[in-house]
Amino acid sequence: MGAAIGSPPGLGEQILFWVLAGWVVGGALFTMTRRNPVTAVMSLVGTFFALAATYASLSAHFLAIIQILVYAGAIMVLFIFVVMILNREEITPVTPRGLILRVMGIGAGLYLTRVFVRVVATSPGADVPGKVSDTFGTVASIGDILFRDFLYPFEAVSLLLLVAIVGGVVISRSHQKEVAAEIAAERRKAIEEMAHAPYPAPEDASSSGGGGHH
Amino acid sequence: MPTHYYLTLSFVLFLIGSSGVLLRRNAIIVLMGIELQLNAGNLALLAYSRALGDQKGHVFAFIIIALAAAEAAVGLAILVGLFRSRQTVNLDEASLMKR
Repeated sequence: MGAAIGSPPGLGEQILFWVLAGWVVGGALFTMTRRNPVTAVMSLVGTFFALAATYASLSAHFLAIIQILVYAGAIMVLFIFVVMILNREEITPVTPRGLILRVMGIGAGLYLTRVFVRVVATSPGADVPGKVSDTFGTVASIGDILFRDFLYPFEAVSLLLLVAIVGGVVISRSHQKEVAAEIAAERRKAIEEMAHAPYPAPEDASSSGGGGHH
Repeated sequence: MPTHYYLTLSFVLFLIGSSGVLLRRNAIIVLMGIELQLNAGNLALLAYSRALGDQKGHVFAFIIIALAAAEAAVGLAILVGLFRSRQTVNLDEASLMKR
Protein backbone atom coordinates (compact mmCIF):
# COMPACT_ATOMS: atom_id res chain seq x y z
CA MET A 1 0.00 0.00 0.00
CA GLY A 2 1.25 3.46 -0.77
CA ALA A 3 0.27 5.04 2.52
CA ALA A 4 3.32 7.07 3.52
CA ILE A 5 1.67 9.43 5.98
CA GLY A 6 -1.19 8.50 8.26
CA SER A 7 -2.16 5.00 9.29
CA PRO A 8 -2.15 2.35 6.58
CA PRO A 9 -5.57 0.86 5.87
CA GLY A 10 -6.48 -2.08 8.04
CA LEU A 11 -7.19 -5.53 6.63
CA GLY A 12 -10.93 -5.21 7.10
CA GLU A 13 -10.98 -1.94 5.23
CA GLN A 14 -9.00 -3.43 2.38
CA ILE A 15 -11.28 -6.46 2.10
CA LEU A 16 -14.33 -4.18 2.17
CA PHE A 17 -12.92 -1.97 -0.57
CA TRP A 18 -11.97 -4.82 -2.88
CA VAL A 19 -15.29 -6.62 -2.42
CA LEU A 20 -17.20 -3.41 -3.13
CA ALA A 21 -14.97 -2.51 -6.08
CA GLY A 22 -15.38 -5.96 -7.59
CA TRP A 23 -19.13 -5.77 -7.06
CA VAL A 24 -19.35 -2.32 -8.67
CA VAL A 25 -17.21 -3.16 -11.69
CA GLY A 26 -18.77 -6.59 -12.17
CA GLY A 27 -22.27 -5.17 -11.86
CA ALA A 28 -21.51 -2.38 -14.32
CA LEU A 29 -20.03 -4.82 -16.84
CA PHE A 30 -22.99 -7.16 -16.39
CA THR A 31 -25.37 -4.23 -16.91
CA MET A 32 -23.72 -3.05 -20.09
CA THR A 33 -23.53 -6.48 -21.70
CA ARG A 34 -27.08 -7.70 -21.10
CA ARG A 35 -29.41 -8.28 -24.00
CA ASN A 36 -32.56 -8.10 -21.89
CA PRO A 37 -33.18 -4.57 -20.51
CA VAL A 38 -34.93 -5.89 -17.38
CA THR A 39 -31.84 -7.88 -16.39
CA ALA A 40 -29.72 -4.82 -17.06
CA VAL A 41 -31.90 -2.63 -14.81
CA MET A 42 -31.82 -5.19 -11.97
CA SER A 43 -28.05 -5.49 -12.22
CA LEU A 44 -27.77 -1.69 -12.23
CA VAL A 45 -29.78 -1.56 -8.99
CA GLY A 46 -27.25 -3.94 -7.43
CA THR A 47 -24.41 -1.80 -8.73
CA PHE A 48 -25.95 1.29 -7.17
CA PHE A 49 -26.27 -0.44 -3.81
CA ALA A 50 -22.58 -1.32 -3.93
CA LEU A 51 -21.80 2.26 -4.94
CA ALA A 52 -23.79 3.52 -1.97
CA ALA A 53 -21.71 1.31 0.30
CA THR A 54 -18.57 2.71 -1.35
CA TYR A 55 -19.81 6.24 -0.66
CA ALA A 56 -20.38 5.27 2.97
CA SER A 57 -16.82 3.94 3.17
CA LEU A 58 -15.72 7.41 2.02
CA SER A 59 -17.62 8.73 5.07
CA ALA A 60 -20.27 10.25 2.83
CA HIS A 61 -23.18 8.86 4.82
CA PHE A 62 -25.78 11.34 3.62
CA LEU A 63 -24.87 10.77 -0.03
CA ALA A 64 -25.02 6.99 0.50
CA ILE A 65 -28.61 7.25 1.72
CA ILE A 66 -29.51 9.64 -1.08
CA GLN A 67 -27.93 7.26 -3.58
CA ILE A 68 -30.16 4.41 -2.43
CA LEU A 69 -33.29 6.56 -2.20
CA VAL A 70 -32.95 8.43 -5.47
CA TYR A 71 -30.98 6.07 -7.69
CA ALA A 72 -31.85 2.57 -6.58
CA GLY A 73 -35.36 3.74 -5.71
CA ALA A 74 -36.76 6.46 -7.91
CA ILE A 75 -34.66 6.43 -11.07
CA MET A 76 -34.58 2.66 -11.41
CA VAL A 77 -38.36 2.45 -10.96
CA LEU A 78 -38.65 4.95 -13.81
CA PHE A 79 -36.38 2.75 -15.92
CA ILE A 80 -38.44 -0.34 -15.10
CA PHE A 81 -41.63 1.44 -16.13
CA VAL A 82 -40.16 2.49 -19.46
CA VAL A 83 -38.77 -0.99 -20.09
CA MET A 84 -42.27 -2.35 -19.46
CA ILE A 85 -43.77 0.16 -21.91
CA LEU A 86 -41.24 -0.49 -24.66
CA ASN A 87 -40.24 -4.09 -24.17
CA ARG A 88 -38.34 -4.94 -27.32
CA GLU A 89 -35.49 -7.37 -27.51
CA GLU A 90 -32.38 -6.08 -29.09
CA ILE A 91 -31.38 -7.86 -32.28
CA THR A 92 -27.76 -6.77 -32.43
CA PRO A 93 -26.60 -5.83 -28.92
CA VAL A 94 -23.21 -4.49 -29.86
CA THR A 95 -22.31 -3.17 -33.28
CA PRO A 96 -18.67 -2.18 -33.58
CA ARG A 97 -18.38 0.33 -36.40
CA GLY A 98 -15.85 0.65 -39.18
CA LEU A 99 -12.11 0.60 -38.78
CA ILE A 100 -11.69 4.38 -38.56
CA LEU A 101 -14.26 4.74 -35.79
CA ARG A 102 -12.74 1.82 -33.90
CA VAL A 103 -9.27 3.37 -34.08
CA MET A 104 -10.70 6.72 -32.96
CA GLY A 105 -12.46 5.04 -30.03
CA ILE A 106 -9.30 3.27 -28.89
CA GLY A 107 -7.36 6.53 -29.28
CA ALA A 108 -9.92 8.39 -27.18
CA GLY A 109 -9.73 5.69 -24.51
CA LEU A 110 -5.93 5.89 -24.41
CA TYR A 111 -6.04 9.68 -24.17
CA LEU A 112 -8.55 9.45 -21.32
CA THR A 113 -6.27 6.99 -19.52
CA ARG A 114 -3.30 9.31 -19.95
CA VAL A 115 -5.23 12.28 -18.56
CA PHE A 116 -6.39 10.16 -15.63
CA VAL A 117 -2.86 9.00 -14.78
CA ARG A 118 -1.58 12.58 -14.94
CA VAL A 119 -4.40 13.84 -12.71
CA VAL A 120 -3.80 11.15 -10.09
CA ALA A 121 -0.03 11.64 -10.20
CA THR A 122 -0.23 15.40 -9.72
CA SER A 123 -3.16 15.71 -7.33
CA PRO A 124 -2.23 16.50 -3.73
CA GLY A 125 -2.69 13.81 -1.12
CA ALA A 126 -4.03 11.20 -3.53
CA ASP A 127 -1.94 8.38 -2.09
CA VAL A 128 -2.73 8.89 1.59
CA PRO A 129 -5.98 7.92 3.23
CA GLY A 130 -7.91 11.04 4.05
CA LYS A 131 -8.25 12.09 7.67
CA VAL A 132 -11.64 13.61 8.36
CA SER A 133 -13.58 14.51 11.45
CA ASP A 134 -16.43 12.42 12.81
CA THR A 135 -19.11 14.81 11.61
CA PHE A 136 -17.80 14.77 8.03
CA GLY A 137 -20.55 13.86 5.59
CA THR A 138 -23.38 13.58 8.10
CA VAL A 139 -26.81 14.98 7.35
CA ALA A 140 -26.29 17.86 9.77
CA SER A 141 -23.02 19.07 8.34
CA ILE A 142 -24.11 18.64 4.71
CA GLY A 143 -27.34 20.49 5.46
CA ASP A 144 -25.33 23.23 7.10
CA ILE A 145 -23.10 23.83 4.09
CA LEU A 146 -25.96 23.28 1.64
CA PHE A 147 -28.24 25.91 3.16
CA ARG A 148 -25.53 28.39 4.11
CA ASP A 149 -23.12 28.47 1.18
CA PHE A 150 -25.07 26.78 -1.59
CA LEU A 151 -28.59 28.06 -1.08
CA TYR A 152 -29.00 29.54 -4.57
CA PRO A 153 -27.67 26.46 -6.41
CA PHE A 154 -30.00 24.38 -4.26
CA GLU A 155 -32.98 26.50 -5.30
CA ALA A 156 -31.81 26.33 -8.90
CA VAL A 157 -31.91 22.56 -8.64
CA SER A 158 -35.55 22.71 -7.59
CA LEU A 159 -36.22 24.87 -10.65
CA LEU A 160 -34.39 22.32 -12.80
CA LEU A 161 -36.54 19.51 -11.43
CA LEU A 162 -39.69 21.50 -12.13
CA VAL A 163 -38.59 22.11 -15.72
CA ALA A 164 -37.75 18.41 -16.08
CA ILE A 165 -41.20 17.39 -14.84
CA VAL A 166 -42.95 19.79 -17.22
CA GLY A 167 -40.69 18.73 -20.08
CA GLY A 168 -41.31 15.06 -19.42
CA VAL A 169 -45.06 15.53 -19.40
CA VAL A 170 -45.01 17.63 -22.57
CA ILE A 171 -42.71 15.32 -24.50
CA SER A 172 -44.51 12.12 -23.67
CA ARG A 173 -47.98 13.61 -24.09
CA SER A 174 -47.96 15.71 -27.24
CA HIS A 175 -47.75 12.85 -29.69
CA GLN A 176 -50.53 10.93 -28.02
CA LYS A 177 -52.99 13.69 -28.95
CA GLU A 178 -51.95 13.54 -32.59
CA VAL A 179 -52.45 9.80 -32.68
CA ALA A 180 -55.85 10.18 -31.05
CA ALA A 181 -56.79 12.83 -33.62
CA GLU A 182 -55.64 10.52 -36.41
CA ILE A 183 -57.72 7.64 -35.09
CA ALA A 184 -60.74 9.94 -34.71
CA ALA A 185 -60.33 11.20 -38.29
CA GLU A 186 -60.13 7.63 -39.57
CA ARG A 187 -63.29 6.69 -37.70
CA ARG A 188 -65.09 9.77 -38.98
CA LYS A 189 -64.09 8.84 -42.53
CA ALA A 190 -65.32 5.28 -42.06
CA ILE A 191 -68.64 6.53 -40.73
CA GLU A 192 -69.00 8.89 -43.65
CA GLU A 193 -68.27 6.12 -46.14
CA MET A 194 -70.83 3.97 -44.43
CA ALA A 195 -73.35 6.77 -44.61
CA HIS A 196 -72.86 7.19 -48.35
CA ALA A 197 -73.01 3.49 -49.10
CA PRO A 198 -76.10 2.12 -50.92
CA TYR A 199 -78.85 1.08 -48.55
CA PRO A 200 -78.55 -2.72 -48.51
CA ALA A 201 -75.03 -2.36 -47.24
CA PRO A 202 -72.74 -5.35 -47.74
CA GLU A 203 -72.66 -7.15 -44.42
CA ASP A 204 -69.21 -7.06 -42.88
CA ALA A 205 -68.73 -8.93 -39.68
CA SER A 206 -65.46 -7.25 -38.79
CA SER A 207 -66.72 -3.66 -39.03
CA SER A 208 -67.90 -2.27 -35.76
CA GLY A 209 -68.84 1.11 -34.40
CA GLY A 210 -70.49 3.94 -36.25
CA GLY A 211 -73.68 1.94 -36.68
CA GLY A 212 -77.02 3.68 -36.34
CA HIS A 213 -75.74 6.88 -37.88
CA HIS A 214 -77.77 6.40 -41.03
CA MET B 1 -8.02 3.21 1.66
CA PRO B 2 -5.86 5.77 -0.17
CA THR B 3 -7.71 8.09 -2.46
CA HIS B 4 -6.23 6.88 -5.71
CA TYR B 5 -7.88 3.47 -5.28
CA TYR B 6 -11.23 5.21 -5.33
CA LEU B 7 -10.14 7.34 -8.26
CA THR B 8 -9.13 4.25 -10.21
CA LEU B 9 -12.47 2.62 -9.42
CA SER B 10 -14.20 5.78 -10.62
CA PHE B 11 -12.14 5.76 -13.81
CA VAL B 12 -12.93 2.10 -14.55
CA LEU B 13 -16.61 2.77 -13.92
CA PHE B 14 -16.52 5.75 -16.27
CA LEU B 15 -14.83 3.67 -18.98
CA ILE B 16 -17.46 0.93 -18.67
CA GLY B 17 -20.26 3.47 -18.80
CA SER B 18 -18.88 5.35 -21.78
CA SER B 19 -18.14 2.20 -23.76
CA GLY B 20 -21.71 1.14 -23.07
CA VAL B 21 -22.95 4.49 -24.35
CA LEU B 22 -20.80 4.26 -27.47
CA LEU B 23 -21.24 0.58 -28.32
CA ARG B 24 -24.82 -0.28 -27.42
CA ARG B 25 -27.69 0.55 -29.74
CA ASN B 26 -30.58 0.10 -27.33
CA ALA B 27 -31.47 3.59 -26.08
CA ILE B 28 -32.47 2.33 -22.61
CA ILE B 29 -29.06 0.72 -22.10
CA VAL B 30 -27.40 3.89 -23.38
CA LEU B 31 -29.24 5.89 -20.71
CA MET B 32 -28.03 3.39 -18.10
CA GLY B 33 -24.49 3.97 -19.34
CA ILE B 34 -24.96 7.69 -18.82
CA GLU B 35 -26.11 6.99 -15.26
CA LEU B 36 -22.95 4.95 -14.69
CA GLN B 37 -20.83 7.83 -15.99
CA LEU B 38 -22.54 10.29 -13.64
CA ASN B 39 -21.96 7.91 -10.74
CA ALA B 40 -18.29 7.62 -11.63
CA GLY B 41 -18.07 11.41 -11.47
CA ASN B 42 -19.81 11.35 -8.09
CA LEU B 43 -17.35 8.79 -6.78
CA ALA B 44 -14.38 10.91 -7.84
CA LEU B 45 -15.95 14.00 -6.23
CA LEU B 46 -16.51 12.18 -2.97
CA ALA B 47 -12.99 10.69 -2.97
CA TYR B 48 -11.41 14.09 -3.49
CA SER B 49 -13.80 15.57 -0.95
CA ARG B 50 -12.46 13.21 1.69
CA ALA B 51 -8.84 13.66 0.60
CA LEU B 52 -9.09 17.45 0.90
CA GLY B 53 -11.35 17.41 3.96
CA ASP B 54 -13.80 19.70 2.19
CA GLN B 55 -17.53 19.00 2.05
CA LYS B 56 -18.19 21.05 -1.08
CA GLY B 57 -17.68 17.87 -3.08
CA HIS B 58 -20.64 16.35 -1.27
CA VAL B 59 -22.82 19.28 -2.29
CA PHE B 60 -21.72 18.89 -5.90
CA ALA B 61 -22.46 15.17 -5.78
CA PHE B 62 -25.89 15.92 -4.32
CA ILE B 63 -26.64 18.33 -7.16
CA ILE B 64 -25.40 15.80 -9.71
CA ILE B 65 -27.80 13.19 -8.31
CA ALA B 66 -30.68 15.66 -8.68
CA LEU B 67 -29.51 16.39 -12.21
CA ALA B 68 -29.36 12.68 -12.98
CA ALA B 69 -32.96 12.33 -11.83
CA ALA B 70 -34.01 15.16 -14.15
CA GLU B 71 -31.97 13.69 -16.99
CA ALA B 72 -33.51 10.25 -16.52
CA ALA B 73 -37.04 11.70 -16.48
CA VAL B 74 -36.57 13.74 -19.64
CA GLY B 75 -34.52 11.07 -21.41
CA LEU B 76 -37.06 8.36 -20.74
CA ALA B 77 -39.89 10.69 -21.84
CA ILE B 78 -37.99 11.24 -25.09
CA LEU B 79 -37.64 7.47 -25.44
CA VAL B 80 -41.37 6.99 -24.99
CA GLY B 81 -42.02 9.70 -27.59
CA LEU B 82 -39.53 8.09 -29.95
CA PHE B 83 -41.14 4.70 -29.50
CA ARG B 84 -44.59 6.13 -30.19
CA SER B 85 -43.52 7.71 -33.45
CA ARG B 86 -41.08 5.04 -34.74
CA GLN B 87 -41.94 1.81 -32.88
CA THR B 88 -38.27 1.34 -32.05
CA VAL B 89 -35.68 2.29 -29.45
CA ASN B 90 -32.76 1.37 -31.68
CA LEU B 91 -30.59 4.43 -32.03
CA ASP B 92 -29.44 3.52 -35.54
CA GLU B 93 -33.03 3.68 -36.78
CA ALA B 94 -33.64 7.02 -35.06
CA SER B 95 -31.06 9.08 -36.89
CA LEU B 96 -33.47 11.43 -38.67
CA MET B 97 -34.92 14.53 -37.04
CA LYS B 98 -38.12 14.35 -39.10
CA ARG B 99 -40.90 11.91 -38.44
